[in-house]
Amino acid sequence: MGTVFSFDVREPGVDRAVVDDVVSWLHHVDRTFSTYRADSLINRLSDDPTLATPEVDEVLAACADLSAETDGFFSAYPNGTLDPSGYVKGWAIERAADLLSAAGSRNHSVVGGGDVQCVGSAAPDQPWRIGIVDPFRADQLLATVTGSDRLAVATSGTAERGAHVFDPHTHRPATALASITVVGTSLARVDALATAAFAMGPDAYAWLATREDVQAFVVDTHGATWSTGEPVPRMLYG
Amino acid sequence: MQTQYGIVQVKVTVAGGKITNVSFAQLTAFDPRSQQINSYAAPILLRETLSAQSAQVDSVSGASYTSAGYVQSLQSALDKAGVK
Repeated sequence: MGTVFSFDVREPGVDRAVVDDVVSWLHHVDRTFSTYRADSLINRLSDDPTLATPEVDEVLAACADLSAETDGFFSAYPNGTLDPSGYVKGWAIERAADLLSAAGSRNHSVVGGGDVQCVGSAAPDQPWRIGIVDPFRADQLLATVTGSDRLAVATSGTAERGAHVFDPHTHRPATALASITVVGTSLARVDALATAAFAMGPDAYAWLATREDVQAFVVDTHGATWSTGEPVPRMLYG
Repeated sequence: MQTQYGIVQVKVTVAGGKITNVSFAQLTAFDPRSQQINSYAAPILLRETLSAQSAQVDSVSGASYTSAGYVQSLQSALDKAGVK
């Protein structure tokens, strides 16, 4: 997938082989969903829809729900062709964390491509602590998120790859904001919401304020920051 | 995992489909029996500008890191550092 994954297992007694199994599953996800692989299942679906597996159906159904919830700003067809990558990355990391839970770990985090899914706590009575990177300075953090139990943090933005988030309505890059971080319990969800919100540009603030199950942190292209609970900034267009 | 030295934590980094780094750190007692089951508390988001090196975070979230960018990334530095 070109994404680097890190597994941080704090639970005592979890066998290293468990992580190997999760890595194998991530390879399976890549074979199924990677649009960069000509032979991936997702690329072959348009020629033969009967290839769809329950996993593919689950992902595409979730994408449809998110597309409806975000008025199309999240889309499984961001460039006109089927590409659910914007959902699959967060979903795969969250599922990887769930596989570790199923194997008996109650305290672990999985990180991939700047997105984080945590379970349990970092140490006894010590919540997980996640830094939010300044999109303009890679050695600096602008905020921290601390939480236990089930914590998901996803960031969408232009910092690493340039303007790679597109507005599915206009097919042009979204450029009003530098980064949006969404915090919740499900990485599949917060990753998609961060992607959708980023594509909304200045309308993201008001929309994020209506999502009651998540918190958000936004950095605009001038470096101004906003987080959930603060008054929604009125941005001047033009 | 349990070893003759006590309980250790395993941290595994995967890049390009291969496990590239495994670090072990010895934990002082993380006794599973003492783990409380608390009711869910909302995460705390705190705006604070910090140098990433001194912030004592477990990991970072930022706009997507590609494999190439990972080498320079904060997450890479955290993974190399292992457990604090």
